[in-house]
Amino acid sequence: MMFEPDSHEHDLLNRASLDHCVKCTICETQCPVAAVTPLFSGPKYVGPQAERFRHGESVDHSLDYCSSCGICTHVCPQGVHIAELNSVARAAMKADHMPLRDQLISRTTFMGMAMTPVAPIANAVLKFKPARIAVEKVVGIHRDAAMPKAHTQTLVGWLRGRTAPKAGSRGKLIFFHGCAQNYFEVETGIKTIEVLEHLGFEVIVPKQGCCGLPLQSNGIFDTARSWVRKLVAQLREAPQDLPIISCSTSCGGMLKHEANEILGVKDADLLEVGGRMRDICEFLLEMYDNGELDTSGWLPNQLTIPYHAPCQLRGQNIGTPAVQLMELVPGITVVESGAYCCGIAGTYGLKKEKYDVAMKVGKPVFDKVVAVNEGVAACDSETCRWQIEQATSVPTVHPIAFIHQAMGLSRLPVKTGS
Amino acid sequence: MRSLDVDVVVIGGGSTGVGVVRDVAMRGYKAVLVDRVDLAQGTSGRFHGLLHSGGRYVVSDPNSARECAEENVIITRIQANAVETTGGLFVTGPDDDPEFGDKFLAGAAANGVAATEIAVAEALKREPRLNPGIKRAVSVHDGSVDGWQLVWTAAQSAKEYGAQILTYHKVTSIERDGDTVSAVMCHDAKTGEDVKIGCHFVLNCAGAWAGEIAGMAGCHDVQVVPGRGIMVAMNHRLVNSVVNRMIYPSDGDIIVPVHTVCIIGTTDVKAPDPDHLPIPHDEVQQMFDAGEVLVPGFRKARALHVWAGARPLVKDSRVGAGDTRHMSRGMSVLDHSERDGLKGLLTISGGKLTTYRLMAEHIVNAMEEQLGTPHPCRTADEVCPSGTTKDATYVPENYHVTHRLHDREHDRMHDQILCECELLSRRMFTDKLAELPNASLDDLRRQLRLGMGPCQGGFCTARAAGVAHEVGTVDTERATGLLRLFLEHRWLGLWPILYGDQVRQTALDNWIFSGTLDVEHLPEGAEVV
Amino acid sequence: MTNTVVIGAGLSGLVAAIRLARGGHTVTLLTKGLGGLQLSQGTIDVLGYAPERVDAPVDATSSLPATHPYKVLGPAAITAGIAYVQELLGDRLVGNADRNVLLPTAVGALRPTCLVPPSMTAGVVTGGIRYVLVGFRQLKDFYPKLCAGNLERQTTPAGDQITARGVILDLPAIEDMADSSALAYARALDDPSYRTKLAAILKPMLEDGEVVGLPAIIGHRDPGAHRHLEQLLEHAVFEVPLPPPGVPGIRLNEALTALAKDAGVRIVAGAKVVGFESAGGKIVSVGQATAGRIRQYAADAFVYAPGGFESGALTMDSYGTVTETIFGLPLHGLGPDLVTAGDPGNQALFRVGVGVDSSMRVVDPAGHAPYSNLYAAGGILAGAIRWTEKSGEGIALASAVVAADSILKGA
Repeated sequence: MMFEPDSHEHDLLNRASLDHCVKCTICETQCPVAAVTPLFSGPKYVGPQAERFRHGESVDHSLDYCSSCGICTHVCPQGVHIAELNSVARAAMKADHMPLRDQLISRTTFMGMAMTPVAPIANAVLKFKPARIAVEKVVGIHRDAAMPKAHTQTLVGWLRGRTAPKAGSRGKLIFFHGCAQNYFEVETGIKTIEVLEHLGFEVIVPKQGCCGLPLQSNGIFDTARSWVRKLVAQLREAPQDLPIISCSTSCGGMLKHEANEILGVKDADLLEVGGRMRDICEFLLEMYDNGELDTSGWLPNQLTIPYHAPCQLRGQNIGTPAVQLMELVPGITVVESGAYCCGIAGTYGLKKEKYDVAMKVGKPVFDKVVAVNEGVAACDSETCRWQIEQATSVPTVHPIAFIHQAMGLSRLPVKTGS
Repeated sequence: MRSLDVDVVVIGGGSTGVGVVRDVAMRGYKAVLVDRVDLAQGTSGRFHGLLHSGGRYVVSDPNSARECAEENVIITRIQANAVETTGGLFVTGPDDDPEFGDKFLAGAAANGVAATEIAVAEALKREPRLNPGIKRAVSVHDGSVDGWQLVWTAAQSAKEYGAQILTYHKVTSIERDGDTVSAVMCHDAKTGEDVKIGCHFVLNCAGAWAGEIAGMAGCHDVQVVPGRGIMVAMNHRLVNSVVNRMIYPSDGDIIVPVHTVCIIGTTDVKAPDPDHLPIPHDEVQQMFDAGEVLVPGFRKARALHVWAGARPLVKDSRVGAGDTRHMSRGMSVLDHSERDGLKGLLTISGGKLTTYRLMAEHIVNAMEEQLGTPHPCRTADEVCPSGTTKDATYVPENYHVTHRLHDREHDRMHDQILCECELLSRRMFTDKLAELPNASLDDLRRQLRLGMGPCQGGFCTARAAGVAHEVGTVDTERATGLLRLFLEHRWLGLWPILYGDQVRQTALDNWIFSGTLDVEHLPEGAEVV
Repeated sequence: MTNTVVIGAGLSGLVAAIRLARGGHTVTLLTKGLGGLQLSQGTIDVLGYAPERVDAPVDATSSLPATHPYKVLGPAAITAGIAYVQELLGDRLVGNADRNVLLPTAVGALRPTCLVPPSMTAGVVTGGIRYVLVGFRQLKDFYPKLCAGNLERQTTPAGDQITARGVILDLPAIEDMADSSALAYARALDDPSYRTKLAAILKPMLEDGEVVGLPAIIGHRDPGAHRHLEQLLEHAVFEVPLPPPGVPGIRLNEALTALAKDAGVRIVAGAKVVGFESAGGKIVSVGQATAGRIRQYAADAFVYAPGGFESGALTMDSYGTVTETIFGLPLHGLGPDLVTAGDPGNQALFRVGVGVDSSMRVVDPAGHAPYSNLYAAGGILAGAIRWTEKSGEGIALASAVVAADSILKGA
């Protein structure tokens, strides 16, 4: 393209895609936010329709209610980059007056780094209502919003502390843990690595920072670009012909496509890293389809599991591999949530003015989980897991936990049917 | 038969005619304007949307250049909301002669046209879709103008000074009493009535049809040579300022952003009959190729609508009859008392929309010369009513592309959006319908932009017909006729440029009108004018 | 285990996928969008006009030109397609392949169709019917008085006058919202207490013996919405299809998609198929543009059901060149002047498409198959203008069943 990469001209591809809109209304019928609140005028309206009326700035502030779940782009039959148009328009709108809150919650690494050494205290504060009310008033994070729980030990710490296993027979691959797996949900990362090693892979975990997704969803594009570039360089320190496995849906999606489509980063390095990125369930199911995954020894588990496919997984256009993967475990029945979005949409649901909308958006998911669960639910994205647990009190785990369990690797069972 | 008596009849409701009737009314005459169809359906509604800085003419027609520069400033002030101060660029294309730029700058300086050369990088930053291979760039004060807003606000001003604006009144003859004009006979197409307008002066501002009108007064051989040009509107603003090729004026060398679209044009072919303006396939392809030079990827963008207009050009013996582009676009006033022995009839021809007010001033001066009752012209001094508010303290602002988005943000919870593509609210529609209860949907479209967006009436046509019926302005037969006619008319401007995304749109629109609504099997609608 | 890939999630794609999966194949369905049913009016058209109005649709197909897909398919296949969708959807569809019914359109035309949802049967035009059409101030896609006005200017096929009137209710779908879509209303009508509120306002306005015509908003996911409303109003009620969002179409789409998933069809949505690999006269795999890369899906057979021009599978560029966008297949119906002045609904362009033999295998105009394992179904097929004829669903169903059966038989 003829414009400078990384300047606002990158949105030209997204803007040009507005020509494909034939006003069919399909995006509007699927938008989880428009379905629950008239405050949001809908993706067709704020995307391809309003873009014809914009010249750099956005005057339609209702567009801020877009949660960036990306379902509109996913369902659009014509290929309009609706969510991307909205993201860029929102960034332009907020450029002058970015709330402090959006700056803070976008910097997951800082939050993680700050919280880890004092994890028990940090967690207690996050659960302590008066403190949360104070935080809400000052910073604007809703008092009841699902905040992550920090661990005392990070994933990196765990890797350092263990004896490295023998090199396997299947070759190497790279693990991209994402901030959540390093600081907040270490178990998911550990289980993913153990499953891959059990299958005979040697898992390389290069030093890695934040992919910048929370910054991007809050419109802080410049910093997001520099962070994602730094991450790409770190991942490319490892051998560059290896698949990169992620168990963080949204971060994997950032590298696969969002950094390119929303931030406009077109570096060849990013594109090639994105081409090698695989979600863990996607990777394992592909192995199974190719006859490379032997499930014959898997332990049965008579269990019905409500499963929610995160919006950012759908946006990767790989179907819902977790469903087919979990059902390879004898006895497991997966019941899909039947809804597109749990409401958290990254950091959207944390914000005090969006919280009520987010809870309405997620209600069909919560209702399904509550109705169907036998003690546990599954979801690929960490922020969605926190949201679902907060709303339903049903423990929610990454689907890999059931594979880990079926392979006999779990010291404590995740959950088995009786 | 209806009768009225006025001082002056102005024939022709394009920019010239409304400019004239406004000036006439402001100078105190009792006036009426007649047009056989809606205002600005001749050249003024079919032009490029360009409010010239004058840059285009600095080398080829310096006189015009100077006039454009001056009038541009006036129009931007007195009809602010019809004008968008987009600014403009003149760019040297990759294969154009860069030395023309020097002639251009010299001509601009000599004729009071503000023009500043800027770095190519700056031009590309300002207009990211521009061809990165351009070699030079000059910034000018071009603007874009909505021809219908221009004409209707001038008409509104005239009405405030007592003039009557009679659209759909076709002139059938011009009567004389001895050697002086005495009346204009018309037929009202909306009601079927004949109308006799007694007067003692007729100003023939009928543009490409001026020769026909003069002929009705027995003044023959008024040589107007219509120069046909086509223009294509693209679905969104590929550029946000006017972009001109910095070359001797040629075909397809301008793209103008107007409202939500941008318009590329134009061609120039002599057209014997202004009522039959074909849109040849090769000219359409020529416009697409010309678009690719300025905006690479033009042919992948979405073409939305095409139309042809006819420039009303006065015949000048210095230029051959076939090449109309370089005939003078200056105006000329034909005094029929000298030419044909008929007092009280002046024919004006030529000119361009940017200088319409000045043209009007000349013709009204000429009229007063004949009448011997001179008055000062104040049309440049007074602001035209914007049509959006009655508040006397309101200072109209120039149009900005975000206006409707901003307005809908404030009223979308309590009003409906009928035309979503162009963000037209139900209230805007019903207000205009109340003003013009006999309007066709195209009459309304011209002032409201109904159906002018990507879906080309796919979703809004049935809504508009339905609302008109629901509020009681039209009965079932007329509502059905309005709906059908609007769809027929839309297709005229679609089929010659149909490709890509617009084919998909047409298929979806067919699924709606034919598949779901089965419009073709509705009972007969009323004949709609 | 035989692998089949279906491209397209419209009526023909979904039905072919279900039939193949139930027949024992491993089926992957690749689609960019949710499928054309999402926009449809929710009825099953077989043949409505040829060009005069048709009463017996399957019989009437004999009068069609040889290039029409129905002529390639034959009456037995058409009947089989209709029977299959009735088998799949059970009491969600009412009607008879031998007979069309007439329903009012939103602007008051009388439109023939074949199978209808039970929520529409009460509106079928019969002698002596008296309609009251009911609109909502906050719903801008239905004007009941215009609908009624046009209905009253027409007679039933037997020549009886039609009686109709229109009323407008001031009842928003969402409180304080002046502008709601049909789907917003349908979601509101999933709530029994909203239905009760509606009935309380509407019932006093009804006259004895009237049939109540609402716009197509009678529930989104509550299958009991229509019956409940009839009980509350103590009148027969029907719904009138509207421009998109087409709620009855959405209901059918959701039902068929659920059947596909239950049958084990793996659906990968959101991205276009952008390429393919072939060898030895067969398609080996197709490539879907997932995030970050193109993922190949290999199979033994492929059903190509992407839709026609409305979906972009067929496209015409600015030079007037028409292409099929995935496989570059040879097209039928090409010629000069594909787009002209005249009726936008009847352009030769819209008859251009992919040609098939009687097994639905793709063939070129000379009858040769470029790939022996590539079958086509639905809107991509050449030779019909479905919106004018009212034939879209019938063609989709018949071709999907034949394509699936050809693959199941290993043809």
